[in-house]
Amino acid sequence: MPREALLARTLVELADTLVDDFDVVELLTLLSDRCVEVLDADTAGLMLAAPQGDLRVMASSSEAMRVLELFEIQSQEGPCLDAYRTGERIVNQDLQAVNGRWPRFAAEALDAGFHSVHALPMRLRGSVIGALNLFRSDAGEMTDADVHVAQAFADVATIAILQHRAAQEAQTINEQLNRALNSRIIIEQAKGMVSERLDVDMEQAFTTLRSHARNNNLRLADLAEAVIAGTVPASSLVAPAPEEATDT
Amino acid sequence: MRDGSRRLAILDQLQAAGGDLDTKRLCDVTVEITGASGAGIMLMSGDTQRGSICSTDDVSALIERLQYDLGEGPCVDACRLDRPVAEPDLAAPGSIRWMAFTPPAVAAGARAVFGFPLQVGAVRLGALNLYCDEPRSLTNGQHADALLMAAIAGQAVLVMQAGAPDGQVASELEARADFQYVVHQASGMVAAQLDVSVTTALVRLRAYAFGNDRALVEVAREVVAKQLRFDTRSGEDDPAP
Repeated sequence: MPREALLARTLVELADTLVDDFDVVELLTLLSDRCVEVLDADTAGLMLAAPQGDLRVMASSSEAMRVLELFEIQSQEGPCLDAYRTGERIVNQDLQAVNGRWPRFAAEALDAGFHSVHALPMRLRGSVIGALNLFRSDAGEMTDADVHVAQAFADVATIAILQHRAAQEAQTINEQLNRALNSRIIIEQAKGMVSERLDVDMEQAFTTLRSHARNNNLRLADLAEAVIAGTVPASSLVAPAPEEATDT
Repeated sequence: MRDGSRRLAILDQLQAAGGDLDTKRLCDVTVEITGASGAGIMLMSGDTQRGSICSTDDVSALIERLQYDLGEGPCVDACRLDRPVAEPDLAAPGSIRWMAFTPPAVAAGARAVFGFPLQVGAVRLGALNLYCDEPRSLTNGQHADALLMAAIAGQAVLVMQAGAPDGQVASELEARADFQYVVHQASGMVAAQLDVSVTTALVRLRAYAFGNDRALVEVAREVVAKQLRFDTRSGEDDPAP
Protein backbone atom coordinates (compact mmCIF):
# COMPACT_ATOMS: atom_id res chain seq x y z
CA MET A 1 0.00 0.00 0.00
CA PRO A 2 1.42 3.45 -0.85
CA ARG A 3 2.50 5.51 2.12
CA GLU A 4 -0.27 8.14 1.73
CA ALA A 5 -2.90 5.41 1.69
CA LEU A 6 -1.37 3.81 4.79
CA LEU A 7 -1.36 7.16 6.56
CA ALA A 8 -4.95 7.89 5.65
CA ARG A 9 -6.03 4.40 6.73
CA THR A 10 -4.24 4.79 10.05
CA LEU A 11 -5.91 8.11 10.81
CA VAL A 12 -9.33 6.66 9.96
CA GLU A 13 -8.64 3.67 12.19
CA LEU A 14 -7.56 5.92 15.03
CA ALA A 15 -10.68 8.06 14.69
CA ASP A 16 -12.71 4.87 14.70
CA THR A 17 -11.36 3.73 18.06
CA LEU A 18 -12.36 7.09 19.57
CA VAL A 19 -16.08 6.39 19.41
CA ASP A 20 -17.94 3.81 21.47
CA ASP A 21 -16.16 1.43 23.82
CA PHE A 22 -12.99 3.46 23.81
CA ASP A 23 -10.14 1.40 25.17
CA VAL A 24 -6.80 3.09 25.83
CA VAL A 25 -4.70 -0.07 25.41
CA GLU A 26 -6.45 -0.94 22.15
CA LEU A 27 -5.81 2.52 20.75
CA LEU A 28 -2.15 2.48 21.75
CA THR A 29 -1.59 -1.04 20.42
CA LEU A 30 -3.05 -0.04 17.08
CA LEU A 31 -0.84 3.03 17.07
CA SER A 32 2.37 1.12 17.81
CA ASP A 33 1.57 -1.44 15.08
CA ARG A 34 0.92 1.31 12.54
CA CYS A 35 4.10 3.17 13.47
CA VAL A 36 6.09 0.13 12.37
CA GLU A 37 4.12 -0.16 9.13
CA VAL A 38 4.05 3.51 8.17
CA LEU A 39 7.33 4.79 9.59
CA ASP A 40 10.82 3.56 9.07
CA ALA A 41 10.91 1.81 12.46
CA ASP A 42 11.36 -1.82 13.43
CA THR A 43 9.69 -1.70 16.80
CA ALA A 44 7.41 0.85 18.43
CA GLY A 45 5.90 1.20 21.87
CA LEU A 46 4.03 3.68 24.04
CA MET A 47 4.61 4.50 27.65
CA LEU A 48 2.14 6.41 29.82
CA ALA A 49 2.68 8.02 33.19
CA ALA A 50 0.83 6.26 36.00
CA PRO A 51 -0.97 8.49 38.54
CA GLN A 52 2.12 8.24 40.79
CA GLY A 53 4.17 9.71 37.91
CA ASP A 54 6.24 6.68 36.90
CA LEU A 55 6.23 5.57 33.26
CA ARG A 56 4.65 2.25 32.36
CA VAL A 57 4.61 0.47 29.04
CA MET A 58 1.05 0.41 27.68
CA ALA A 59 1.54 -1.02 24.19
CA SER A 60 4.29 -2.49 22.03
CA SER A 61 4.44 -3.70 18.45
CA SER A 62 6.56 -6.60 19.69
CA GLU A 63 5.87 -8.90 22.59
CA ALA A 64 9.47 -10.17 22.69
CA MET A 65 10.76 -10.25 26.25
CA ARG A 66 13.91 -8.30 25.37
CA VAL A 67 11.82 -5.52 23.88
CA LEU A 68 9.47 -5.34 26.82
CA GLU A 69 12.47 -5.14 29.13
CA LEU A 70 13.73 -2.17 27.13
CA PHE A 71 10.55 -0.34 28.04
CA GLU A 72 10.72 -1.35 31.65
CA ILE A 73 14.26 -0.01 32.05
CA GLN A 74 12.94 3.35 30.92
CA SER A 75 10.97 3.89 34.08
CA GLN A 76 14.51 4.53 35.46
CA GLU A 77 16.51 5.84 32.48
CA GLY A 78 16.18 6.20 28.72
CA PRO A 79 14.83 8.36 25.92
CA CYS A 80 11.15 7.89 26.91
CA LEU A 81 11.78 9.10 30.43
CA ASP A 82 13.71 12.11 29.10
CA ALA A 83 11.03 12.95 26.53
CA TYR A 84 8.38 12.66 29.24
CA ARG A 85 10.31 14.82 31.71
CA THR A 86 11.35 17.54 29.27
CA GLY A 87 8.40 17.43 26.87
CA GLU A 88 10.98 17.58 24.04
CA ARG A 89 11.56 15.19 21.13
CA ILE A 90 14.59 12.96 21.34
CA VAL A 91 15.33 11.71 17.81
CA ASN A 92 18.10 9.96 15.93
CA GLN A 93 19.98 8.76 18.97
CA ASP A 94 22.83 6.48 17.88
CA LEU A 95 22.93 3.84 20.58
CA GLN A 96 26.69 3.27 20.08
CA ALA A 97 27.23 6.90 21.07
CA VAL A 98 24.87 7.39 24.00
CA ASN A 99 26.42 5.05 26.55
CA GLY A 100 27.17 7.87 28.91
CA ARG A 101 23.60 9.17 28.86
CA TRP A 102 21.72 5.89 29.39
CA PRO A 103 24.30 3.20 30.23
CA ARG A 104 21.94 0.38 31.11
CA PHE A 105 19.35 1.16 28.44
CA ALA A 106 21.91 1.56 25.63
CA ALA A 107 23.65 -1.72 26.44
CA GLU A 108 20.40 -3.69 26.56
CA ALA A 109 19.10 -2.07 23.35
CA LEU A 110 22.30 -2.90 21.45
CA ASP A 111 22.10 -6.43 22.83
CA ALA A 112 18.55 -6.68 21.47
CA GLY A 113 19.86 -5.69 18.01
CA PHE A 114 18.79 -2.03 17.87
CA HIS A 115 21.12 0.76 16.77
CA SER A 116 19.02 3.89 16.91
CA VAL A 117 16.14 5.12 19.01
CA HIS A 118 13.62 7.96 19.04
CA ALA A 119 11.20 9.17 21.69
CA LEU A 120 8.37 11.65 21.06
CA PRO A 121 6.50 13.26 23.93
CA MET A 122 2.75 12.73 24.21
CA ARG A 123 1.91 16.27 25.05
CA LEU A 124 -1.07 18.62 24.93
CA ARG A 125 -0.35 22.23 25.88
CA GLY A 126 1.25 22.07 29.30
CA SER A 127 0.68 18.45 30.18
CA VAL A 128 2.87 15.55 29.12
CA ILE A 129 1.24 12.17 29.68
CA GLY A 130 3.83 9.80 28.23
CA ALA A 131 6.01 9.11 25.18
CA LEU A 132 6.08 7.22 21.90
CA ASN A 133 9.21 5.13 21.45
CA LEU A 134 10.62 4.00 18.08
CA PHE A 135 13.54 1.60 17.58
CA ARG A 136 15.52 0.87 14.43
CA SER A 137 17.96 -1.94 13.84
CA ASP A 138 20.25 0.24 11.71
CA ALA A 139 21.84 3.50 12.73
CA GLY A 140 20.39 5.63 9.91
CA GLU A 141 18.42 8.79 10.66
CA MET A 142 14.67 9.19 10.50
CA THR A 143 13.52 11.71 7.87
CA ASP A 144 11.87 14.95 9.01
CA ALA A 145 8.67 13.79 7.36
CA ASP A 146 8.68 10.61 9.46
CA VAL A 147 9.34 12.60 12.64
CA HIS A 148 6.32 14.78 11.89
CA VAL A 149 4.08 11.81 11.16
CA ALA A 150 5.22 10.10 14.37
CA GLN A 151 4.51 13.26 16.36
CA ALA A 152 1.08 13.54 14.71
CA PHE A 153 0.27 9.96 15.79
CA ALA A 154 1.40 10.74 19.32
CA ASP A 155 -0.73 13.90 19.35
CA VAL A 156 -3.88 12.09 18.20
CA ALA A 157 -3.40 9.48 20.92
CA THR A 158 -2.78 12.18 23.52
CA ILE A 159 -5.96 14.08 22.72
CA ALA A 160 -7.97 10.85 22.75
CA ILE A 161 -6.59 9.78 26.13
CA LEU A 162 -7.07 13.18 27.75
CA GLN A 163 -10.65 13.37 26.49
CA HIS A 164 -11.32 9.87 27.74
CA ARG A 165 -9.92 10.74 31.16
CA ALA A 166 -12.07 13.88 31.37
CA ALA A 167 -15.16 11.83 30.46
CA GLN A 168 -14.36 9.24 33.11
CA GLU A 169 -13.83 11.94 35.68
CA ALA A 170 -17.19 13.53 34.80
CA GLN A 171 -18.83 10.13 35.21
CA THR A 172 -17.24 9.62 38.62
CA ILE A 173 -18.25 13.04 39.95
CA ASN A 174 -21.79 12.60 38.67
CA GLU A 175 -22.03 9.24 40.43
CA GLN A 176 -20.77 10.85 43.65
CA LEU A 177 -23.36 13.60 43.32
CA ASN A 178 -26.15 11.07 42.85
CA ARG A 179 -24.99 8.96 45.77
CA ALA A 180 -24.87 12.06 47.97
CA LEU A 181 -28.39 13.10 46.89
CA ASN A 182 -29.67 9.56 47.44
CA SER A 183 -28.30 9.23 50.93
CA ARG A 184 -29.66 12.66 51.84
CA ILE A 185 -33.11 11.61 50.57
CA ILE A 186 -32.99 8.34 52.52
CA ILE A 187 -32.08 10.21 55.71
CA GLU A 188 -35.04 12.58 55.20
CA GLN A 189 -37.37 9.61 54.63
CA ALA A 190 -36.09 7.90 57.77
CA LYS A 191 -36.59 11.12 59.75
CA GLY A 192 -40.21 11.12 58.55
CA MET A 193 -40.72 7.53 59.65
CA VAL A 194 -39.18 8.10 63.07
CA SER A 195 -41.14 11.31 63.51
CA GLU A 196 -44.40 9.47 62.83
CA ARG A 197 -43.65 6.33 64.86
CA LEU A 198 -42.26 8.12 67.94
CA ASP A 199 -44.52 11.16 67.61
CA VAL A 200 -41.64 13.63 67.68
CA ASP A 201 -40.78 16.55 65.39
CA MET A 202 -38.22 16.34 62.54
CA GLU A 203 -35.38 17.74 64.59
CA GLN A 204 -35.95 15.23 67.38
CA ALA A 205 -36.28 12.49 64.78
CA PHE A 206 -32.89 13.47 63.39
CA THR A 207 -31.31 13.55 66.86
CA THR A 208 -32.77 10.11 67.55
CA LEU A 209 -31.30 8.67 64.35
CA ARG A 210 -27.95 10.34 64.91
CA SER A 211 -27.53 9.17 68.49
CA HIS A 212 -28.59 5.62 67.59
CA ALA A 213 -26.03 5.63 64.75
CA ARG A 214 -23.30 6.90 67.07
CA ASN A 215 -24.12 4.49 69.89
CA ASN A 216 -24.10 1.54 67.51
CA ASN A 217 -21.17 2.69 65.44
CA LEU A 218 -23.23 2.92 62.24
CA ARG A 219 -23.08 5.41 59.41
CA LEU A 220 -26.13 7.65 59.54
CA ALA A 221 -26.97 6.85 55.90
CA ASP A 222 -26.74 3.09 56.55
CA LEU A 223 -28.99 3.33 59.60
CA ALA A 224 -31.47 5.42 57.62
CA GLU A 225 -31.53 2.78 54.91
CA ALA A 226 -32.17 0.03 57.47
CA VAL A 227 -35.01 2.07 58.98
CA ILE A 228 -36.59 2.54 55.54
CA ALA A 229 -36.23 -1.17 54.78
CA GLY A 230 -37.73 -2.04 58.17
CA THR A 231 -34.72 -4.08 59.31
CA VAL A 232 -34.26 -1.55 62.12
CA PRO A 233 -37.89 -0.67 62.98
CA ALA A 234 -38.37 3.05 63.60
CA SER A 235 -40.46 2.18 66.66
CA SER A 236 -37.46 0.39 68.22
CA LEU A 237 -35.44 3.61 68.36
CA VAL A 238 -35.42 5.64 71.53
CA ALA A 239 -35.75 9.40 71.40
CA PRO A 240 -33.10 11.13 73.53
CA ALA A 241 -34.29 12.91 76.65
CA PRO A 242 -36.26 16.04 75.61
CA GLU A 243 -33.77 18.50 77.17
CA GLU A 244 -31.03 17.01 75.00
CA ALA A 245 -33.13 17.08 71.87
CA THR A 246 -34.51 20.58 72.26
CA ASP A 247 -31.54 22.19 73.97
CA THR A 248 -30.55 25.25 71.97
CA MET B 1 -20.36 34.22 15.68
CA ARG B 2 -18.38 31.02 15.92
CA ASP B 3 -18.58 28.77 18.93
CA GLY B 4 -15.16 29.80 20.20
CA SER B 5 -15.94 33.52 20.33
CA ARG B 6 -19.42 32.84 21.75
CA ARG B 7 -17.87 30.86 24.54
CA LEU B 8 -15.39 33.65 25.28
CA ALA B 9 -18.18 36.23 25.35
CA ILE B 10 -20.19 34.08 27.78
CA LEU B 11 -17.22 33.39 30.03
CA ASP B 12 -16.49 37.13 30.02
CA GLN B 13 -19.99 37.84 31.30
CA LEU B 14 -19.75 35.12 33.92
CA GLN B 15 -16.53 36.64 35.19
CA ALA B 16 -17.79 40.23 35.03
CA ALA B 17 -19.57 39.75 38.35
CA GLY B 18 -16.27 38.83 39.99
CA GLY B 19 -15.95 36.48 42.87
CA ASP B 20 -16.81 32.82 42.81
CA LEU B 21 -19.05 31.25 40.24
CA ASP B 22 -22.41 30.37 41.73
CA THR B 23 -25.47 28.70 40.30
CA LYS B 24 -27.52 31.92 40.37
CA ARG B 25 -24.95 33.69 38.20
CA LEU B 26 -25.26 30.88 35.63
CA CYS B 27 -29.01 31.46 35.41
CA ASP B 28 -28.70 35.25 35.38
CA VAL B 29 -26.20 35.20 32.50
CA THR B 30 -28.42 32.79 30.58
CA VAL B 31 -31.26 35.30 30.84
CA GLU B 32 -28.98 38.17 29.78
CA ILE B 33 -27.63 36.45 26.67
CA THR B 34 -30.89 34.91 25.46
CA GLY B 35 -33.26 37.76 26.27
CA ALA B 36 -35.57 35.30 28.03
CA SER B 37 -37.76 36.33 30.97
CA GLY B 38 -36.31 33.75 33.34
CA ALA B 39 -34.16 30.67 33.61
CA GLY B 40 -33.60 27.76 35.94
CA ILE B 41 -31.43 24.67 36.18
CA MET B 42 -32.86 21.32 37.19
CA LEU B 43 -30.85 18.26 38.11
CA MET B 44 -32.07 14.87 36.99
CA SER B 45 -30.70 11.40 37.32
CA GLY B 46 -32.05 9.00 34.78
CA ASP B 47 -35.78 9.69 34.74
CA THR B 48 -35.84 11.03 38.30
CA GLN B 49 -36.15 14.76 38.91
CA ARG B 50 -33.74 15.73 41.69
CA GLY B 51 -34.88 19.32 42.06
CA SER B 52 -33.88 22.81 41.06
CA ILE B 53 -30.41 24.16 41.82
CA CYS B 54 -31.33 27.74 40.93
CA SER B 55 -33.96 29.87 39.27
CA THR B 56 -34.06 33.57 38.47
CA ASP B 57 -37.65 34.38 39.51
CA ASP B 58 -40.90 32.99 40.87
CA VAL B 59 -42.17 31.88 37.45
CA SER B 60 -39.06 29.87 36.62
CA ALA B 61 -39.12 28.41 40.13
CA LEU B 62 -42.74 27.36 39.49
CA ILE B 63 -41.78 25.86 36.11
CA GLU B 64 -39.15 23.72 37.83
CA ARG B 65 -41.47 22.82 40.70
CA LEU B 66 -44.26 21.76 38.33
CA GLN B 67 -41.88 19.49 36.47
CA TYR B 68 -40.71 17.97 39.74
CA ASP B 69 -44.30 17.34 40.81
CA LEU B 70 -45.68 16.15 37.48
CA GLY B 71 -42.68 14.52 35.83
CA GLU B 72 -43.31 16.33 32.55
CA GLY B 73 -42.25 19.56 30.87
CA PRO B 74 -39.43 21.01 28.77
CA CYS B 75 -36.54 20.08 31.13
CA VAL B 76 -37.79 16.56 31.61
CA ASP B 77 -38.11 16.09 27.85
CA ALA B 78 -34.75 17.75 27.04
CA CYS B 79 -32.98 15.45 29.45
CA ARG B 80 -34.92 12.35 28.45
CA LEU B 81 -34.67 12.95 24.68
CA ASP B 82 -31.12 14.24 24.93
CA ARG B 83 -31.81 17.27 22.74
CA PRO B 84 -33.14 20.83 23.03
CA VAL B 85 -36.90 21.15 23.35
CA ALA B 86 -38.86 24.28 22.40
CA GLU B 87 -42.47 25.36 22.76
CA PRO B 88 -42.63 28.90 21.33
CA ASP B 89 -46.34 29.30 22.09
CA LEU B 90 -47.28 27.44 25.24
CA ALA B 91 -50.88 28.73 25.28
CA ALA B 92 -51.50 27.52 21.71
CA PRO B 93 -48.97 24.74 21.20
CA GLY B 94 -48.43 23.14 17.80
CA SER B 95 -48.88 19.72 19.32
CA ILE B 96 -50.56 18.64 22.53
CA ARG B 97 -48.02 17.74 25.17
CA TRP B 98 -47.49 18.33 28.88
CA MET B 99 -51.23 18.20 29.66
CA ALA B 100 -50.72 18.74 33.38
CA PHE B 101 -47.76 21.10 33.19
CA THR B 102 -49.09 23.56 30.62
CA PRO B 103 -52.22 25.14 32.25
CA PRO B 104 -50.56 26.21 35.53
CA ALA B 105 -47.40 27.33 33.68
CA VAL B 106 -49.44 29.52 31.29
CA ALA B 107 -51.52 30.85 34.18
CA ALA B 108 -48.30 31.91 35.92
CA GLY B 109 -47.20 33.85 32.84
CA ALA B 110 -44.99 31.47 30.88
CA ARG B 111 -45.92 31.85 27.19
CA ALA B 112 -42.86 30.16 25.65
CA VAL B 113 -40.63 27.52 27.25
CA PHE B 114 -37.33 25.94 26.22
CA GLY B 115 -35.28 23.10 27.64
CA PHE B 116 -31.58 22.39 26.97
CA PRO B 117 -29.90 19.22 28.24
CA LEU B 118 -27.09 19.70 30.75
CA GLN B 119 -24.53 17.32 29.45
CA VAL B 120 -20.80 16.70 29.80
CA GLY B 121 -19.65 14.04 27.37
CA ALA B 122 -21.94 11.08 27.89
CA VAL B 123 -22.94 12.24 31.38
CA ARG B 124 -26.43 13.71 31.64
CA LEU B 125 -26.92 15.96 34.63
CA GLY B 126 -30.28 17.60 34.04
CA ALA B 127 -31.52 20.52 31.98
CA LEU B 128 -31.40 24.27 31.67
CA ASN B 129 -34.83 25.80 31.27
CA LEU B 130 -35.86 29.16 29.85
CA TYR B 131 -39.22 30.86 29.69
CA CYS B 132 -40.52 34.01 27.99
CA ASP B 133 -43.55 36.02 29.05
CA GLU B 134 -44.71 36.34 25.43
CA PRO B 135 -44.93 33.76 22.66
CA ARG B 136 -41.66 33.75 20.73
CA SER B 137 -38.92 31.60 19.28
CA LEU B 138 -35.25 31.95 20.07
CA THR B 139 -33.09 33.31 17.25
CA ASN B 140 -30.40 30.99 15.94
CA GLY B 141 -27.82 32.97 17.87
CA GLN B 142 -29.80 32.81 21.13
CA HIS B 143 -30.35 29.10 20.64
CA ALA B 144 -26.60 28.58 20.14
CA ASP B 145 -25.85 30.71 23.21
CA ALA B 146 -28.28 28.71 25.33
CA LEU B 147 -26.73 25.44 24.15
CA LEU B 148 -23.28 26.68 25.11
CA MET B 149 -24.60 27.98 28.40
CA ALA B 150 -25.99 24.54 29.16
CA ALA B 151 -22.59 23.01 28.39
CA ILE B 152 -20.85 25.52 30.65
CA ALA B 153 -23.43 24.98 33.41
CA GLY B 154 -22.89 21.21 33.19
CA GLN B 155 -19.14 21.68 33.61
CA ALA B 156 -19.75 24.13 36.46
CA VAL B 157 -21.95 21.63 38.32
CA LEU B 158 -19.21 19.00 38.06
CA VAL B 159 -16.48 21.44 39.12
CA MET B 160 -18.55 22.48 42.15
CA GLN B 161 -19.32 18.91 43.14
CA ALA B 162 -15.68 17.84 42.60
CA GLY B 163 -14.73 19.91 45.64
CA ALA B 164 -17.33 18.37 47.96
CA PRO B 165 -16.46 15.84 50.67
CA ASP B 166 -17.39 12.30 49.66
CA GLY B 167 -21.02 11.49 50.40
CA GLN B 168 -22.08 15.14 50.48
CA VAL B 169 -23.68 17.47 47.96
CA ALA B 170 -21.42 20.49 47.31
CA SER B 171 -22.47 23.49 49.39
CA GLU B 172 -22.36 25.67 46.24
CA LEU B 173 -24.98 23.40 44.69
CA GLU B 174 -27.11 23.37 47.84
CA ALA B 175 -26.90 27.15 48.29
CA ARG B 176 -29.90 28.05 46.12
CA ALA B 177 -31.22 24.59 45.47
CA ASP B 178 -34.63 23.22 46.17
CA PHE B 179 -34.17 19.48 46.50
CA GLN B 180 -37.62 19.18 48.13
CA TYR B 181 -36.37 17.42 51.24
CA VAL B 182 -39.71 18.04 52.98
CA VAL B 183 -41.39 15.81 50.36
CA HIS B 184 -39.13 12.94 51.42
CA GLN B 185 -39.79 13.58 55.10
CA ALA B 186 -43.52 13.43 54.34
CA SER B 187 -42.99 10.20 52.36
CA GLY B 188 -41.40 8.64 55.44
CA MET B 189 -44.33 9.76 57.60
CA VAL B 190 -46.97 8.52 55.18
CA ALA B 191 -45.10 5.22 54.79
CA ALA B 192 -45.35 4.78 58.57
CA GLN B 193 -49.00 5.86 58.64
CA LEU B 194 -50.06 3.42 55.93
CA ASP B 195 -47.44 0.76 56.61
CA VAL B 196 -46.31 0.88 52.96
CA SER B 197 -42.93 1.49 51.33
CA VAL B 198 -41.61 5.05 50.97
CA THR B 199 -41.91 4.68 47.19
CA THR B 200 -45.60 3.85 47.49
CA ALA B 201 -46.03 6.67 50.00
CA LEU B 202 -44.52 9.16 47.54
CA VAL B 203 -46.93 7.95 44.84
CA ARG B 204 -49.83 8.52 47.26
CA LEU B 205 -48.57 12.01 48.08
CA ARG B 206 -48.20 12.90 44.40
CA ALA B 207 -51.65 11.52 43.59
CA TYR B 208 -53.21 13.49 46.44
CA ALA B 209 -51.48 16.73 45.37
CA PHE B 210 -52.48 16.22 41.74
CA GLY B 211 -56.07 15.23 42.60
CA ASN B 212 -56.52 18.29 44.78
CA ASP B 213 -54.72 20.62 42.40
CA ARG B 214 -52.10 21.46 44.98
CA ALA B 215 -48.32 21.72 45.04
CA LEU B 216 -46.66 18.56 46.26
CA VAL B 217 -44.41 20.59 48.56
CA GLU B 218 -47.43 22.25 50.25
CA VAL B 219 -49.10 18.92 50.85
CA ALA B 220 -45.80 17.57 52.22
CA ARG B 221 -45.48 20.54 54.59
CA GLU B 222 -48.97 19.87 55.96
CA VAL B 223 -48.11 16.23 56.54
CA VAL B 224 -44.92 17.18 58.36
CA ALA B 225 -46.82 19.78 60.42
CA LYS B 226 -49.24 16.96 61.34
CA GLN B 227 -52.17 18.86 59.83
CA LEU B 228 -52.80 16.14 57.27
CA ARG B 229 -52.74 12.38 57.73
CA PHE B 230 -53.14 9.61 55.19
CA ASP B 231 -54.50 6.98 57.57
CA THR B 232 -57.98 7.06 59.09
CA ARG B 233 -56.82 8.12 62.54
CA SER B 234 -57.32 11.74 61.49
CA GLY B 235 -61.06 11.43 62.00
CA GLU B 236 -61.61 13.02 58.60
CA ASP B 237 -62.42 11.13 55.44
CA ASP B 238 -59.45 9.25 54.13
CA PRO B 239 -57.79 11.97 52.07
CA ALA B 240 -56.03 9.52 49.80
CA PRO B 241 -57.79 9.30 46.44
